[in-house]
Amino acid sequence: MLALNNKVAVITGGSSGIGLAIAKRFVSEGAYVFITSRRQSALDKAVAEIGKNVTAVQGDVSKLEDLDRLYSTVSAEGRRIDVVVAGAGFVVIAPLTTATLDQFDQTFDTNARGAFFTVQKALPLMNDGGSIILIASAGKNKATPGRSLYSGTKAALRAFVRTWTMELKDRGIRSNVLSPGATETPILEDLFGSKEAAEAGKAQFASATPLGRIGRPEEIAAAALFLASSEASFVAGIDLAVDGGLSAV
Amino acid sequence: MKRYEGKKVVIIGGTSGMGLATAKMLLDGGARVAVTGRSKEGLESAQKELGNEAIVVSSDARSLTDIDALASRVKTEFDTIDLLFVNAGFSIPTPFESVTEAIYDEMFNLNSKGPFFAVQKFAPMISRGGSVILTTSIANVKGMPNQSTYGAAKSALRSFARGLAAELLPREIRVNAVTPGPIDTPILGKSFPAEAAAQMREKIPGMVPMKRWGTSDEIAKAVLFLAFDATFTTGAELPVDGGWSQL
Repeated sequence: MLALNNKVAVITGGSSGIGLAIAKRFVSEGAYVFITSRRQSALDKAVAEIGKNVTAVQGDVSKLEDLDRLYSTVSAEGRRIDVVVAGAGFVVIAPLTTATLDQFDQTFDTNARGAFFTVQKALPLMNDGGSIILIASAGKNKATPGRSLYSGTKAALRAFVRTWTMELKDRGIRSNVLSPGATETPILEDLFGSKEAAEAGKAQFASATPLGRIGRPEEIAAAALFLASSEASFVAGIDLAVDGGLSAV
Repeated sequence: MKRYEGKKVVIIGGTSGMGLATAKMLLDGGARVAVTGRSKEGLESAQKELGNEAIVVSSDARSLTDIDALASRVKTEFDTIDLLFVNAGFSIPTPFESVTEAIYDEMFNLNSKGPFFAVQKFAPMISRGGSVILTTSIANVKGMPNQSTYGAAKSALRSFARGLAAELLPREIRVNAVTPGPIDTPILGKSFPAEAAAQMREKIPGMVPMKRWGTSDEIAKAVLFLAFDATFTTGAELPVDGGWSQL
């Protein structure tokens, strides 16, 4: 039997990279998925790649009205939700001395506030016994110059799931964080600006990682499947590192 | 010579509780101190308690305009500083389902955004060998019902201590966090209705391994340790919580 047979999952940031890999894996395990992205073109491409059992809803998680529209779509299709994956993320290199208010707000509004209200607004539609997964980062416990805002938002996610574990225990809803290390995704290339810089950056990440390479989106998706499914029925409030050992050593 | 003579210190959120206790110790030790607060009564009573030596400034820790104004005032008064203690903060306990956008933003503006930009504005003024202390909370490592936004905003702040420590390392400025456990300060009465506050005063000691409330003076001593004596410590968080987060 498939691990997510007849389950429904909402995956924000599900049109590329880690989010897309999670959407594909969930569908292959029997789930119906709703994916979101700011870019319609990326969604169209993702829907074609996933192939079946998927609804795409264009939207920005930092806008609460977009989240409302997402969930009214789920509701209009007559579905209830078993799994929420908050995967939409924004990253910018912003050293303390030059970080602007806009950079601060964009990072926090997408990564922290977006995840918070993605989950809050899902709750009325969620089945008891469901699973909440927030995608954080192995970098949140490390100090990397230029990354204080990004790491700050991801540390906030780690705190959210502790509290939600207490607050949602009566409904049997489990909340966990999944922390990828450096992973082969388009966001990595955007971050470095050029293909050459990205290759150099990846080589550097690979050498810093005990397993000697960066991760593949499918490896993150496998961990998300575990947290989403009944295999993880006694796992709550944790931070699952899938980072080749980066944060462990 | 007194212990803190020649030191110049800014305490954001220094008109009551832990901030005020730290200001007192520093003034007694010969330092020059500027403290900020918001309420008129708080500012007046702090000026009275700290005496005329202390600079007491009305400033909203969430307002970037106020932080700018504070930085220029401090520049004029002190030119450089040795310690920035960013202590302002409070919680609005709210169940997850009822957290509004306004409450969410208030928690992050006060506990994450204000402190980040305060460090950004003051960093150029901090002397080599100087120090930044951020007040975090045990809610960033413990899941406590009704504290999801507060705990997360404080977690972001704890993370800033790491990132900013890395960035200010070349200037030999250390950045650390102090994590108070339950401390009996006036904020308790402000964060909770009178009855709930009274209940907490009774209930909390039973939950703490040391079976008592901490005092503001115990926090102040930890802040001064991190600021002036912990010369090989940066990016760290020091829990002062009667063992609550550790045992």
